[in-house]
Amino acid sequence: MSSVKYASAVAAVRAMESSLLSQSDMEAMANAAGFRDVAGILASSGRRVPEEYDELLGSLEKELCEIWEMISGYAPDCKELEILLYRNNFHNLKAALKALIMNENPESIFVLPTTLELDRLTEIVSSKSYEELPEYMRGAAEDAYSILTKSLDGQLAEIVIDTACLEAMKSSAKKSGSRLMMKYADLTAALSDIKTAYRCSIMNKTDSFMQLAICGSSGLDRESLIRAALGGADNLLSYLDGTHFAEAAEKLRESTAAFEKWCDDELLSVFDEAKMQSFGAAPLAAYFVAKETEIKNLRILLVCKNCGAAKETIMERMRRLYV
Amino acid sequence: MTNLGIAFAVLGAVFASLFAGIGSAKGVGLVGEAAAGVVSVDPSKFSKVLILQLLPGTQGLYGLLTAILLISRIGIIGGTPADLTLSQGLMFFAACLPIAFVGLFSGIAQGKSAAAGVGIVAKKPDQSGKGIIMAAMVETYAILALLVSILLIYNIEV
Repeated sequence: MSSVKYASAVAAVRAMESSLLSQSDMEAMANAAGFRDVAGILASSGRRVPEEYDELLGSLEKELCEIWEMISGYAPDCKELEILLYRNNFHNLKAALKALIMNENPESIFVLPTTLELDRLTEIVSSKSYEELPEYMRGAAEDAYSILTKSLDGQLAEIVIDTACLEAMKSSAKKSGSRLMMKYADLTAALSDIKTAYRCSIMNKTDSFMQLAICGSSGLDRESLIRAALGGADNLLSYLDGTHFAEAAEKLRESTAAFEKWCDDELLSVFDEAKMQSFGAAPLAAYFVAKETEIKNLRILLVCKNCGAAKETIMERMRRLYV
Repeated sequence: MTNLGIAFAVLGAVFASLFAGIGSAKGVGLVGEAAAGVVSVDPSKFSKVLILQLLPGTQGLYGLLTAILLISRIGIIGGTPADLTLSQGLMFFAACLPIAFVGLFSGIAQGKSAAAGVGIVAKKPDQSGKGIIMAAMVETYAILALLVSILLIYNIEV
């Protein structure tokens, strides 16, 4: 009966999926005259909507934290779900290290949800007792601190942490044995590598820098990607045209915003297969990612509305929805 | 050897109720878990998920029915057990195996199917009938096994 794990959690998630915002809700909000109308549409979907714009933006992060707590509560023994928060965990490590160097309070730059206790993270980073960090973060924390204190190269430190994050995602996904999480981690690494390679090619970064910054994935040959990026942006895009990521090249030619949207859409599409599953952790992970995308869309929509952007501009930036 | 005959017949009754009962308990339990998940989010769906939860419960009833028919046939219920030979006892035992094992596996399979149907109720309540039909298809095999067991029990000479 192990194949029927999390039956209760999956059923609950299926019930909650019916209250996820649909494409027509998004269009209605994009068409709405102002914040009040957007808030009205959101309230009709069963949300508690604060009266002020800033409060609403703040409540979205809180909402995602609540979803995470609920999902991890349903499946407390499911380690593979934590992979979804590795990016936040590593971002928070970066924030804590930077705050330490700059002698600032990192609280305002931490992102939620996270599986780390943030006060404890700050203490660990301040006391340099990295052995108390989760195993997958220790090496990156030490290396990044050493780079920051010796060379003051913030960009390199960031790159060390970002690459370690992708490596940790891939390694934890492999350990979990979950095919879905392995696919997710590998695609995340491939898309991050393309993004990094593109930036490096524009900024004329060296081979040694790219060797550190590009993590590698099963879909893209690491060395070929680096060689292509060393030849400049056009060379890189031509190389991508001949790989499975030809669409990435097309989107990058269009704009970086189009590429970012495409990356998010591709990552969400990994979870499409979870729609057909009635048991296991995949539908739980899919719901969290779906909710994360919904919240990202709402943020884009609210910010665009606040700036007075046109409906077309808003809809261009809207990520694909799970439902 | 006459004692061994009745012992095998009783063992058959035990198998029928035990294994079919285990199948149902597992199936009903699994659907119950899924149903509780939906009701925790939307209590108004209780009646719809309850139907699905009931479906895998029938195998246990079929096992019970077979066991009662058998112990009635061999006179245990009346208080005068029949004088069965070893071969008669073994035949009664064998007669119980279809519902015992088909009940066990179909109960679990129906539980999985009905738990998946709970997902349909959760997401598309207007399509819940389809979830019930799909789970009910598994019932066919439990009914066939029950028929075989009953026909055998009634046609073995005592």
